[in-house]
Amino acid sequence: MTSDAVPAGGDARRLLGEVRGLARRVRIAQRVTWLPLLVLAVVTFVAIPVTRVSRPITRDCQPVAGGGETCKVFDPGVDIYWLVAMVVAYIVITRGYVAVARDRGVGVRVLPYAISGVAATVVVFGLIAVGAGGWIVRDPQDLLHPPTSVQVLFRLLTPLGAIGVALLVLAWLERNVALLLFALGYLAVVLVPINFGWDTYWGGGWSEAPPLIISGSVLALGALGFAGAQRLRRAR
Amino acid sequence: MNRVDNDEGVTPHPVTGLDDVVHQRVRLGILTIAHEARRVEFGYLRSQLALTAGNLSQHLGVLETAGLVEVEKGYEGKRGRTWVTLTEAGDAALAAEIGRLKLLIARVETTGTTDET
Repeated sequence: MTSDAVPAGGDARRLLGEVRGLARRVRIAQRVTWLPLLVLAVVTFVAIPVTRVSRPITRDCQPVAGGGETCKVFDPGVDIYWLVAMVVAYIVITRGYVAVARDRGVGVRVLPYAISGVAATVVVFGLIAVGAGGWIVRDPQDLLHPPTSVQVLFRLLTPLGAIGVALLVLAWLERNVALLLFALGYLAVVLVPINFGWDTYWGGGWSEAPPLIISGSVLALGALGFAGAQRLRRAR
Repeated sequence: MNRVDNDEGVTPHPVTGLDDVVHQRVRLGILTIAHEARRVEFGYLRSQLALTAGNLSQHLGVLETAGLVEVEKGYEGKRGRTWVTLTEAGDAALAAEIGRLKLLIARVETTGTTDET
């Protein structure tokens, strides 16, 4: 870019192109996409032993016609872990983003992401605490064997689902198509019940581990991928 | 702003609305970067716009005088750093300039002619 004035009518298109190019370079300089993915992967992996150690509390059990029973299940240890871990994680992510962007010489807009991440987690646990599952599925028989659409909704209303929703917000803030695709892929993994049969074999308090291992691995791989891509871009 | 009123009721050509302070390429670049970054450091501007420190300072001076940016000098540790922030007027001026450029392109495409000033 030089300091010459541009003929007003003749080169407006080139000037607009340059403006868009500069804006794009700023957006790239603001990105630290690997950081939230890495932090959230760590939070997800640490949740595995927490889930194993924590003791769920079962109450208000009611027998269901045709066999079985439905209960309200609370897991205070796991609930507190996720709430605290997510708040700490989003504070770390926000501070990291601001520090890296400042070092690169630009400001950054990451607070809406952190707020939406914490808010989504609070909403998820709020819904669990008030027993929202019973509102969504009124017939206890259906709750015992929920239809696929309800299963998908229940999986979305988990901390892992909240992470995915917040990543969509970050993708929008960063105008980051790669992150948008990653977030959609991550949500697909969270919403589709993939467990490679681990659910059957692990048992003994480890039944919650497979989705956490799978989601944490996707996040960790994403962190590696985005960090590698950023390193390559900077090397060029 | 060099807007021209037209007594004959003809829509003025978009070129007549272009603001010389904003339309200059480097200054438009500074405003664009400051808008996108919210807050931008002098060194980043210098590297992105490929300018000397003196040249960039001159352009920043013009924008600051026009009330379009705020320049804040400070230290981080022992390192002196200058941060540039877009003012509300700067934000509006940038949006108006981009709007006029788009209008100009649309007009050129509609008439099928290239306008020169």
